[in-house]
Amino acid sequence: MTAQMDRAASVDIASLIQHDRIHGSLYTDPAIFDLEMTALFENAWVFVGHDSEIPEKGDYLTRRIGRQPVIVARGKDEKVRVLLNRCTHRANMLCRADSGNAALFRCPYHGWTYANDGRLQGVPFREGYDQEMAEMRSELGMAQAHQVEIYGGFIFANLYGNAGSFDEYIGRAKGPIDRLLSLSPEGRIELRGGWMKHKTVANWKIVNESQVDGYHPLFTHESVYKAIMPAKVDYASDELLVATRDLGGGHNEVDYSREYQSQDAEFIWFKRTPREKMAKYVAAMEASVGADETHKRFVDGPPHTFIWPNLFLAEMHVIMVEPVAANESIQYTAPIHIAGGEEINARILRNAEGAMGPAGFLIADDGEMGERNQAGLTAKMPEWALLSRGFSSEVQEDKGLTSYDRTSETTQRAMWVHYKELMTGKQASA
Amino acid sequence: MNTHVPDDIAAFLFLEARYADESRYDDWESLWADDAIYWLPTKDDADPSVDVSYIYDNRSRIHSRLAQLKTGRRYSQSPPSKMRRMLSNLEVLSEQGDDINIGANFVLYEHRNGTHVWAGRYLYTVRRTSAGLQLVKKTALLVNNEDAIRTVAFII
Ligand code: FES
Ligand SMILES: [Fe+2]
Repeated sequence: MTAQMDRAASVDIASLIQHDRIHGSLYTDPAIFDLEMTALFENAWVFVGHDSEIPEKGDYLTRRIGRQPVIVARGKDEKVRVLLNRCTHRANMLCRADSGNAALFRCPYHGWTYANDGRLQGVPFREGYDQEMAEMRSELGMAQAHQVEIYGGFIFANLYGNAGSFDEYIGRAKGPIDRLLSLSPEGRIELRGGWMKHKTVANWKIVNESQVDGYHPLFTHESVYKAIMPAKVDYASDELLVATRDLGGGHNEVDYSREYQSQDAEFIWFKRTPREKMAKYVAAMEASVGADETHKRFVDGPPHTFIWPNLFLAEMHVIMVEPVAANESIQYTAPIHIAGGEEINARILRNAEGAMGPAGFLIADDGEMGERNQAGLTAKMPEWALLSRGFSSEVQEDKGLTSYDRTSETTQRAMWVHYKELMTGKQASA
Repeated sequence: MNTHVPDDIAAFLFLEARYADESRYDDWESLWADDAIYWLPTKDDADPSVDVSYIYDNRSRIHSRLAQLKTGRRYSQSPPSKMRRMLSNLEVLSEQGDDINIGANFVLYEHRNGTHVWAGRYLYTVRRTSAGLQLVKKTALLVNNEDAIRTVAFII
């Protein structure tokens, strides 16, 4: 056992997470990061990609689960598998490209080949192996994640198959995925524009926390509201009906729908774009679900929901967070393509570039806050970061523990309650 | 074809580079034509109508970007990066009417929370008008554009 693991094992994680405060070392300690990669990624359900990224047989993309490189591949049988990106001979990485299409993965070192379902296909000069090897050949296919499930096109995997059922994991997060798909007249979305990849000197949990933070916009994003356009809702108002919600299982959201409903206005979430500019999309929706339901969906808008531990439904964009080290993360952002969405899709694409990613009017500054957050944590006093806003405003609803104070830190607490359970192997007492 | 870049156009591109280096937002904005495109793609062969870009600004979005920077509350550029960039290998690639397409290699040293190197190829379209030269299009093809990149809130 390495010294680092020794140290980690001796850390009492439970004592570092109080109901209203988080110990700073959870964002900075490399030993804790190692434990997280094992407990929260490699032994857990995680998001790995969207099935529209690999629509054809043989399509694949490379990702990581924790620190392990994987290939998400659609086999010639159409099935999506998550294969470990490692040759079973002497462990060469099989695939270096971000994505592609391949009938075979061929290891360049000694030429072993694998079918795109992971089976070992060819071994050069196989006479050099004895009978024992011939017998174990069927076991020498690429290793794969034990469980893969797809919901609404979102592909989730559990590497070791020891993290319980998918239904248990996804829990109430199905609702927000449904809400997103309900904006498509065909009930589908695609990711076809690729990803922006933003490298940031901040812990992955800091990135996640800021994505669902309802307290910061007025301050962090002041320059946007001042120089470019007013915020979609009035963050300064005490009357604002925006909710923060703990959906359970680490999933959480900022829900704008009640505020939008109170204004009964469509597309507040999409720069209040008038229907006339998206006439074909509106017509397709009305043909699909009727005028009343279309109006309701255009008012309610998309989810602003974090799905534990690495997927964020960022309204018209999808974000994936990849931990790199205790103080480094990559935030991936893809614009959503609404199937049958016609005119809205070109607007979503340009909107992604305006708001999101390393040059975005919003996210560049969120990234700056994350890096400052990480830098501030190098000061060891005080030891704790506070997450105590809004306790008294929380009410238990069917959808989850909800606060109609949008500045409540209900969303961040939702992540930490679940984090503590997974890291300590203990269910919190309700 | 003669690939030699006329002196006045080279001088115009060096001026553009210096305004960008020194975060002289108003001066930089004054170089642009009305049909401007300022583009930082996520890969070299990107199609901006399909592929998401890091930046794909038309003239009005360039204005918004600079207006945000000028508030002093664009925290990812407050204070602004200190920068110096080298342009080299300037070539005329093609011409259509008054528009001249130019390619150049660049290395940019950006200092903010450490010193960072950005490198790649610039593709410019410069227009000759009666009022002087105007920048119509600037594309920056980073050598690492397919990888994760740091925050790029400065003028690249
Ligand atoms: S390591 Fe892959 S064939 Fe030898
Ligand atoms: Fe933000």
